[in-house]
Amino acid sequence: MDHMISVVKVRQVLMVTMPPDPDDTTVTALQEKVLGAMERYSAKGVVLDISAVETFDSFFARTVSETAQMVTLMGGRTVIAGMRPAVAVTATQIGLTLGNIETALTTERALDLAAAEPARRKVR
Amino acid sequence: MTTSTTTELVIQAESDIVAARRTVREAAVRLGFGITDVTRIVTAASELARNIFKYAGEGVMRWRYLEAGGRSGIEIQFVDHGPGIEDVNRALEEGYSTGGGLGMGLPGARRLMDELDIQSTVGQGTTVTLRKWRRS
Ligand SMILES: Nc1ncnc2c1ncn2[C@@H]1O[C@H](COP(=O)(O)OP(=O)(O)O)[C@@H](O)[C@H]1O
Ligand SMILES: [Mg+2]
Repeated sequence: MDHMISVVKVRQVLMVTMPPDPDDTTVTALQEKVLGAMERYSAKGVVLDISAVETFDSFFARTVSETAQMVTLMGGRTVIAGMRPAVAVTATQIGLTLGNIETALTTERALDLAAAEPARRKVR
Repeated sequence: MTTSTTTELVIQAESDIVAARRTVREAAVRLGFGITDVTRIVTAASELARNIFKYAGEGVMRWRYLEAGGRSGIEIQFVDHGPGIEDVNRALEEGYSTGGGLGMGLPGARRLMDELDIQSTVGQGTTVTLRKWRRS
């Protein structure tokens, strides 16, 4: 369905695609979907494809950065792909920082990044 | 300043935040704003529509076209009869939130728009007016 989040495993990475104009319930569902799928597929990382997204407000930004933090705790890597230029300009102007989440222009490049070993690994 | 007729949208459900974004997008596109300004205006409207739903429960969004001194623009007003804001200056500070949010909605909207005005009385409600002018 057009207004749903889709999660597909590609290589060892979760490809998560956001719909163009998700309501708050859909945005909130992102966290649960991603964390559930991380565990189910033992994925290495997450690519969050927001190339269709036209509005990235503070609620959306908070959910994305919280989700990325949790993925980090699970030993995974999150890469945001395809942010539209107008969306990037707007988010920067508001001051919405996405913490240390990596970004990539294309999903292809994002997949490479997310599939790579995390830069730092916990040593026991 | 001449103005067009005002159009109104009731905000009382979560889905009305999406409706507000769509309405504002369509209006801003029709007025000839470029894609970046359209995105700025819609994002600001999204923040304010959510504030109504979250803090007041319900309210209305009104919008109209503006025409002044050879310039054209859009005015969007968010009106509610909710709890009001005790300290408007504080609410405009980055990171200030009583609702566990990022506290970036009001300060963000102010930066994205040309004008932002808040009238609020505790116990009576809040009216936020946004304006954006087309750069010619
Ligand atoms: N319509 C409103 N009615 C009452 N209080 C409001 C309203 N809009 C904003 N506020 C107050 O202003 C604060 C800051 O709002 P905002 O900048 O959007 O950040 P956030 O929504 O993340 O808290 C809110 O936490 C709330 O206390
Ligand atoms: Mg807000």
